Amino acid sequence: MTYDDYLDGKPAVITAALTGGVHGKEAHPDLPETPEEIAAAAAACEEAGASVLHLHARRDNGERAFSTERFQEVADAVREATDDAVLQHSTGGTAAPDALRHEPLRTDPAPEMASLDMGPLNRYERLTSENTRGLVASLHAEMRERGIKPELEVFNDGHLNESLAILDDLDDPPYLNFLFGGGTTSPPHPRNLINRVEALPEGVEFNVIGFGTHQLPMTTQSLLLGGHVRVGLEDNRYYERGELATNEQLVARAARIAEEVGRPVATPEETRELLGLRGR
Amino acid sequence: MDETCQHLTYREEGDGKSFETARAFCAVTESFVQPMRADVCNARYDLDPATDCEFYFDPDAETTDGTDADGDR
Repeated sequence: MTYDDYLDGKPAVITAALTGGVHGKEAHPDLPETPEEIAAAAAACEEAGASVLHLHARRDNGERAFSTERFQEVADAVREATDDAVLQHSTGGTAAPDALRHEPLRTDPAPEMASLDMGPLNRYERLTSENTRGLVASLHAEMRERGIKPELEVFNDGHLNESLAILDDLDDPPYLNFLFGGGTTSPPHPRNLINRVEALPEGVEFNVIGFGTHQLPMTTQSLLLGGHVRVGLEDNRYYERGELATNEQLVARAARIAEEVGRPVATPEETRELLGLRGR
Repeated sequence: MDETCQHLTYREEGDGKSFETARAFCAVTESFVQPMRADVCNARYDLDPATDCEFYFDPDAETTDGTDADGDR
């Protein structure tokens, strides 16, 4: 990945993270939680320019669900509501036991992509998501077996070490996701993203997430550096200070910026070609 | 270990909000709880409120000055 990719007008993949597993309607009254709500948000985001839909599942009371059955309900509803978007299931960001972490991979059909946390991260004051090497390896093995492209979640530089160490085990092109914010994520500063990009071997594709107020500047910088972007209510509830956003607003803004800086927005077909996905 | 935090209830209204399906409500903070925090409150995934929840306090702790059990936190 080089600056030439940007100058060459390389398509930019926009991922929409619709709901997440941390906050719910107590934090944003329109945050989608039910399969129907998630599907409606997915359709709006696909229309606005998202080619990848990052999915979580929730219980009826809004709490996070990992079961294959609930993910199947969500995935079925999203496929029904969308035309051609890529589905990406979350397996991470939690202290849930290892066995549960595999369940989102077992829908029929399997998702084309899934997240793969590359190491420990802290939540709140005392909660740590451990993500041992053993768990990372077992999740990756099942993804490979089922034809699922892993998105390696790089919350900090240590996770970059872990990612670079397994590059040879990944199908081309390796796809790394850099997260910026507080806690155990990387400090959101432009030089930190530049350092990351410079550390990547040729042929690696990268995506950027900025949490909260960092979503807009960090994703904009990614577009300038030839990377891809993830936006949505999972990572950022606000369109601007004090104004709650919708998922499609955040996607539409990312699409506008991409086009303005010379990066055409990738269609689902172009995304599959760029990332080496198996197809819907 | 209790499966449910004793300070967590499920309510359809409170904290100035209402929901069609009852959601986790923390009686310590008097507010609705984020879904991930509810996982901790419910002691799911082998999490223990006493060690994993930042709001937890021991309801059996004796107090000598008439304050609530969390008065010394």
